[in-house]
Amino acid sequence: MGRRYGLGGPWVLRGIDLDLPAHTLIRIEGANGTGKSTLLRLLAGIDAPTEGRITGRRPRTAYVPERFPAALPFTAAGYLVHLGRVHGLRTCEAADRAQAWLARFGAAGHALTPLPELSKGTSQKVAVAQALLAEPELLVLDEAWTGLDAAARDELDRAVAERVAAGSTVVFVDHDPRRLTGAVDAAFRVEGHGLAAVPVARAAGAGPQVRIEAAGPPGAALPAALPGTPERTPAADGAVRLTVAATHSDALLRALLAARPPWHIRHLTTTSGAAPEPEAAPHTKASPAPGARSTSEAP
Amino acid sequence: MTALLRYQTALLIRSQRWLAPVLLYAAFLGIGVQSGQPVLDSLGYAAAGLLPVTAWLVQLCVNQEPPAARTVTAAVAGSPRVHLASLLAALGCAGLLGTAATLIVLLISKPASADNAVRVPLLPAGLAGLLAAVCCVLLGAAVGALCTRPLLHRRGWSVATTVLAALLALVTSGSPANHAVTGLVTGSRTGTVHVPLLPLVAAAALAAAVAALACKLTSMRG
Repeated sequence: MGRRYGLGGPWVLRGIDLDLPAHTLIRIEGANGTGKSTLLRLLAGIDAPTEGRITGRRPRTAYVPERFPAALPFTAAGYLVHLGRVHGLRTCEAADRAQAWLARFGAAGHALTPLPELSKGTSQKVAVAQALLAEPELLVLDEAWTGLDAAARDELDRAVAERVAAGSTVVFVDHDPRRLTGAVDAAFRVEGHGLAAVPVARAAGAGPQVRIEAAGPPGAALPAALPGTPERTPAADGAVRLTVAATHSDALLRALLAARPPWHIRHLTTTSGAAPEPEAAPHTKASPAPGARSTSEAP
Repeated sequence: MTALLRYQTALLIRSQRWLAPVLLYAAFLGIGVQSGQPVLDSLGYAAAGLLPVTAWLVQLCVNQEPPAARTVTAAVAGSPRVHLASLLAALGCAGLLGTAATLIVLLISKPASADNAVRVPLLPAGLAGLLAAVCCVLLGAAVGALCTRPLLHRRGWSVATTVLAALLALVTSGSPANHAVTGLVTGSRTGTVHVPLLPLVAAAALAAAVAALACKLTSMRG
């Protein structure tokens, strides 16, 4: 597909052919002004392509713009409830999820603050919360991390990994080249007016990793389609060692503990890059070690 | 669609931008409608004033979301639906205004023809006045939707063309609004009530066509 602005304007993008399968995290890179945002707007269904078309059923989509200085006459929670309803949630459901997501990003105290009075970072948290609260099938993030504090950036990384684990497609642009490394399934660079595939470093050592040693009931096989497609190596006593990008670790732990029959977590280590750094105590039964953060479910 | 409509209406009401056109319309009525005037004349006057006010309300609603918030809602519901919801929110607001104005005119006016010779029954007059108001609201919405995003992006051009188009829609013979309003005013001379059914159909068709065009263009021209 292609896109240009205005009737005779120059082509921003042309000959783009991109497949968005489920369970994938896709990174789009490129210099400023090459058309990354245009591409994301096309993918999110905000704009229509000038030539070509987007095939397939329109997924439930959410989009986070880079800047969200929304001067809207609502409180943060009020806006989220409105957006939740537009997403198709019932009012009470939308209100509950709005609270939960604001709390997760550390903005629960601003729920009743009018949007125009919010700081840049907090309004960005509202923008991120509106996208995540409806559990979209396609999540498009246009530098959504910009303006967030470190804790919220990490939380967004984990939320993205959760969405991918739950079967969504997530497409993102971020100027930090290490953003979600190890978790990215495909990467593309906007070059000229087209897209070029970029090799993705999925090997161990690309970004922080978590190694989980888990033992299943005798004879039980690992659950199929584990989040983050961990690298598997056999360990002592019939256990298995799973190495996964740190952003996927919570989702992977949850999948293991929630499997029927449940798996027992024996040991958990986090490694930053290639060198392993043991941090957590062994034999933590059914609760993630202090090194790993347990993802809070919606209260 | 209900959720979108609720969102757009809440935006309009809370932003208080509706105050300016509504106050303008109230002033317009205050000047031109006095108690004891012939009912059909006053109904025609009240309906005519609705056209530019509706065009203004439509442009307020279409542009009330900041671009960042608009992209967010457009991703969720699709740009055309968001645009349609904003048009409908403005239409609802203008419809409410028109109904209130018609009721007030019916209450305070003299139910007689202009020369006081013929008695004008209030119920048919009210119906004709209401339909004329709906004609003007629909045509005003069409004018408002044509003269703003996504067809016209420049604010200056938008205001200039809206004023011109609203004026033309009122004075050009053959325009449904003109037809409906003249029907009321000329009927007042003889005391006959012309119910503007044909203009209503024409205005509805025109408004629907313009809305379809504008909604389709939003995802292409922003």
